[in-house]
Amino acid sequence: METRAPGRIPSKPPSKRESEAAVQGIWSGTISFSLVAIPVQLVRAVDSGRVSFRMLHDKDYSPLQRRMFCPEEDKLVPPDEIIRGYEIGPDRYVLITDEELESVSPERSRTIEIIEFIDMEEVDPIYYDHPYYLVPLKGGEKAYRLLVEVMSRTNKAGLAKFVLGEREYLVAVKSAEGALALITLHYSEEILPDEDISPKEKKIETEEKSRIKQNIKKMMSDFNPEKYADRRRKKIMEILSKKVKKIAPVEAPQAEEEEGEGPADLVAALKESMRKVKKNR
Amino acid sequence: MAGKAIWKGYINFGDVNLPVKLHTAIKEERIQFHLLHMGDRVKLRQQMVCAYEKEPVPVEAQVKGFEVEDGKYIIVDPAELEQTAPESSRLVEVHEFVKTVQIDPVFLERVYYLEPDIHVKGYNSLVAALKEMDVAGICTWAMRKRYYLGALQTSGKVLRLTTLRHAEEVISVKSLELQNIPLSEKELKIGSDLIDQLTAPFQPHKFENEHRKKLQMLIDKKARGEKIAILRPRRLKPTTPDKLLQALEASLKKVA
Repeated sequence: METRAPGRIPSKPPSKRESEAAVQGIWSGTISFSLVAIPVQLVRAVDSGRVSFRMLHDKDYSPLQRRMFCPEEDKLVPPDEIIRGYEIGPDRYVLITDEELESVSPERSRTIEIIEFIDMEEVDPIYYDHPYYLVPLKGGEKAYRLLVEVMSRTNKAGLAKFVLGEREYLVAVKSAEGALALITLHYSEEILPDEDISPKEKKIETEEKSRIKQNIKKMMSDFNPEKYADRRRKKIMEILSKKVKKIAPVEAPQAEEEEGEGPADLVAALKESMRKVKKNR
Repeated sequence: MAGKAIWKGYINFGDVNLPVKLHTAIKEERIQFHLLHMGDRVKLRQQMVCAYEKEPVPVEAQVKGFEVEDGKYIIVDPAELEQTAPESSRLVEVHEFVKTVQIDPVFLERVYYLEPDIHVKGYNSLVAALKEMDVAGICTWAMRKRYYLGALQTSGKVLRLTTLRHAEEVISVKSLELQNIPLSEKELKIGSDLIDQLTAPFQPHKFENEHRKKLQMLIDKKARGEKIAILRPRRLKPTTPDKLLQALEASLKKVA
């Protein structure tokens, strides 16, 4: 079962408001460079931007929750009965616990250790995968501020590796408007060669090139993504605002609170189950 | 080899009209796990459950709702949403060109290689022009029932089309509510010197996904029934504000 989009660090289900979403931590640990260690939390830098719909039950208009289901016993499975398995044959699995997973690279599970600093201009943008922010935890505010400031002054970014859940990420940490942005990078082995699609004929027609340059010059501008609104989102919002005026909304019945949103992914599910196991000890 | 062609379109701006094929540029391989039921080791599947009744709900009894206020929804018919899908088109329209450095990496989403389609004419010239001017074309197109915003760029050899996130998808730094803490000039100076000392050229080939190999070894070991030694993750002691200057000085001494 693929529970996540490739390349994404697993995150908890998105919350409704941006302010909440921004501070919602995905991971917490330490970022270090040389002898300086800063306690930090990893948070999201992008929100899918899609209009968020909820799936409802047509009978009572109650929202639906994602749960794990055992087809053999025909019943729902609570998080503390879920375990991660690696398939070695039909219906044969090797079970791997969180502790075992952390044992693979224990030195990188809780620390983003900056190995070296680089000039971001040297990084081919094809390496960029997914952006996040780091925010300081209590006591780390000053050292965090310093790292932001000196990377901004020197125009450098830190290069680090760290392990989260089942994956090891190569990341660049750079300063962004007073914050630390963490961008996961692809490994070079993940970047496909482009030789086979590049034209065999390498000749460049000078006249044609200068004509294209003329065209480009006329169209030069400053990058301003605000100009390009998501057209689909706009259309959906238009339909919705028309509907809101015409029909009354349905109301969901009050549901009892239970363990919260269901497991969004493997890591979240296992963390949740570990918390429960520990609590019950 | 580049990934297989996934779409065909043509790049258009001014009097330039270039037919291209889109190829995926990234291939990720990862170790795949499944979620199992602890007792009987049966592979679990996801199931939507009614929050009120706590009972599984089959697909035909699921409806889409847009939350207008807490607990109140407008029911939306999928056919209505279908209307908002773009009409199919092959046009990748370049609206403007910007300096490449102006595009913050936070906007970059997915990269495709562009292969010349039908004829090569104009392709090499466009590659050379973009490279020499160090610019990217900001473009929009509709592909597979979705609208895309993208940047037409070049590596110097081939054209690339990178999808861009919309501005409203990017969470602002302001919302992080970071404190501005004063730093001494000495701290900043030593910090900057330290970074300069630790700077190296970017050599991505140096970094391998060692973890993946180690994880595979662990799985194999467990499959053979061997015991796994549990190693605790290391936690570093945070550098407190009063020890920051000292830590920076000691670091600089170490690398210098």
